[in-house]
Amino acid sequence: MSDWRVPLTDIAMPEQDVEAVLDCLRSGWLTMGPRTKAFEEALARYVGTPNAATVSSGTAALHLACLAAGLGPGDEVIVPAFTFVASASAPRYVGAEPILCDVRSAHDFNLDVEDVARRITPCTRAVIAVHFCGYPADVLALRKLCDEHGLVLIEDCAQAIGARVDDSARQVGTVGELGCFSFFSKKQLCVGEGGMVSTADEALDASVRLFRSHAMTSSTWDRHRGHDPVYDVVDIGFNFRLDEPRAALGLSRLQRLDESIAARRTIVRAYRERLAEVPGVELAFDEQAVERASHFAFPVLLADRDARDRFRAELKTNGIQTTWYPALHSFTEYQRFAPADGLPIATKVADRHCALPLSSTMEEADIEIVVDAVCSALARI
Amino acid sequence: MAATGTFPELPLFDLRLEEQDFEAVAETLRSGWLTLGPRTAAFEEAFAAHLGARHAIALSNCTAALHLAYLAAGVGPDDEVIVPSFTFAATAAAVLYCGATPVFAEIVSRERPSLDLEDVQRRITPRTKAVCVVHYAGYAAAADRLKELCDARGIALIEDVAHAPSATLGGRKLGTWGLAGAFSFFSNKVLSVGEGGLLCTDSDEIAAFVRSRRSHAMTSGTWDRHRGRTDTYDVTGLGFNYRLDEPRAALLLSRLERLEVDIARRRELTLRYRGLLGQVDGIIVPFEDADIPTSSCYVMPIMLERDGTQAEVSRRLRELGIQTSIFYPSIHRFTAYRERFPNLSLPITELASRTELTLPFYPHMTNDDQDRVVTALAKVVAR
Repeated sequence: MSDWRVPLTDIAMPEQDVEAVLDCLRSGWLTMGPRTKAFEEALARYVGTPNAATVSSGTAALHLACLAAGLGPGDEVIVPAFTFVASASAPRYVGAEPILCDVRSAHDFNLDVEDVARRITPCTRAVIAVHFCGYPADVLALRKLCDEHGLVLIEDCAQAIGARVDDSARQVGTVGELGCFSFFSKKQLCVGEGGMVSTADEALDASVRLFRSHAMTSSTWDRHRGHDPVYDVVDIGFNFRLDEPRAALGLSRLQRLDESIAARRTIVRAYRERLAEVPGVELAFDEQAVERASHFAFPVLLADRDARDRFRAELKTNGIQTTWYPALHSFTEYQRFAPADGLPIATKVADRHCALPLSSTMEEADIEIVVDAVCSALARI
Repeated sequence: MAATGTFPELPLFDLRLEEQDFEAVAETLRSGWLTLGPRTAAFEEAFAAHLGARHAIALSNCTAALHLAYLAAGVGPDDEVIVPSFTFAATAAAVLYCGATPVFAEIVSRERPSLDLEDVQRRITPRTKAVCVVHYAGYAAAADRLKELCDARGIALIEDVAHAPSATLGGRKLGTWGLAGAFSFFSNKVLSVGEGGLLCTDSDEIAAFVRSRRSHAMTSGTWDRHRGRTDTYDVTGLGFNYRLDEPRAALLLSRLERLEVDIARRRELTLRYRGLLGQVDGIIVPFEDADIPTSSCYVMPIMLERDGTQAEVSRRLRELGIQTSIFYPSIHRFTAYRERFPNLSLPITELASRTELTLPFYPHMTNDDQDRVVTALAKVVAR
């Protein structure tokens, strides 16, 4: 089954991107140099943040955000239960405790601000707001809540680069003290493995940069340029650096990001139009959310888990690749993090949703194939 | 040339890639599949075969490899891991990631700046869980005798092979002596890719653990799902994103073909350097000519006989367009470690750190380049 008629994701790699990487390789300078700096400047401009520090992955971005925010043992961090596992691993890397919260509804499955408020204790130090599937969470309300309680707001923008938090041009990653992005191969802006931390706070930015490279006071690049060969190690840092070929690729691809997100949105609208009246499948989110989102994935809802599983099996038989996200507390490793009162909505959404193929390269014919397959699958389950 | 803010005429290292490398990366990018796919598997297979190891697992960098090696050895809170201080900070930092304590041991001497077996022996306590041996500059430390010692005491031996991707000891590749070997493919390394690393092991259990933890302890990967092998996954532990990606795997696979040729050239150049440096008064040239055929010859270290002249010699060489570096400042003397280990004294390590200079060295270095470095060094040291 490796030859899907319509794969879940696909990427375009025009020759200008290939050339950008080859140009970097020909230069012979592969780590933390001029291309990383240029990519970071371009990212900062794109997101609308004063500081963007590239890192090795979205997971590394979240880890560094937790470190920079000073989180540690004894601290609680509120994280939605419906997200990729890295959102909850990050507080654990620094010794803090992830507190799982519920999402708003089956049709708006970002974290529920009221549920976040209910889970605040004297130990709560931060909230990680995930913009799931590219749909912006209500970070403006969370900002207010965090300010009232003196909490740090970390935005997990791994799936949401380019999404907007309201009807202005304000992007995700600029509301929290720290924004964490991913450039993983399936993402809207992809380089393979990669990530980035955005922040308006110079001290937090300095901290992220320090910890991403072993808390060393100078880099190989600085020393190459003739700086003093002596450096100090002032804390326990990591190797979470991006390298130059990936920075070159990211910089080249960033030029087409808006265009690519617009293409994704067009496809999502085409899907929604065709599926709106189809019985047995429900759309998530509303038109306003669709307008603001950057569309990493296109989730739809089935009646229940059984219907969803049979629906996916039918689509698979038809060559259509789909996926779904388990809720964190369903994993062996995270069962013990489930609160006593349960996480009923996250559980339900995890059971009911299914993500259909979505990429900026999809054509009208692909959408037709998927929609036809969806209709025939629904007729058979 | 100005002393700061410009590029040295003779840099510490210089990397040249070839047409076949560019092709390999370009082809991967055009394929549109960028993470943990067929190229990573092919590189892992080729590198395992190259080492004669049962498993090779590509990782994001050597720090990640050390972290997973320690975790795989069961290192956790309250445990101790014996490491040299004459190494890069990652060797010790990764111990701290596990919540354990690094215990710093001495090197043999400035002539042989490798982990000292006897000092390791003295530092073993009931809490010692592992020993990490670093094959400094590509030269084999006493991995064979350390292996015996560790086996006898029920301690895991981890090899930090960041410098030594094809070096041997007793005909056996370094990295395959211990429970796990941690390799680096950082941009200035013998086999370089940018950021990259790898863990090798003969243990099926450790290999499975490392593969799981490098990708969030998920029971299946994107590639498996793409191939329709699995529909969903479980998360069975606290994992990380320590993955390498496909363009880097392709570059490594392409460069691996020329690794032995590169190292042969490094050995020739090292022998020539040693011949020239042997004539210079006031310096010690670590290791011996007899070590060269089994070393990967990563860098060219020398030690200044006179303590207190390192900064001055480095500065004057830089004025002459020659970049040098210090491999390595003692880890236990860094601020972050002084805070944790305030009273630790390792006299041989500290003297080595205060007097070491690493000279420019790369496979396409010319005889003229070497002559220039040695002449300049002789002149500067004489003053």
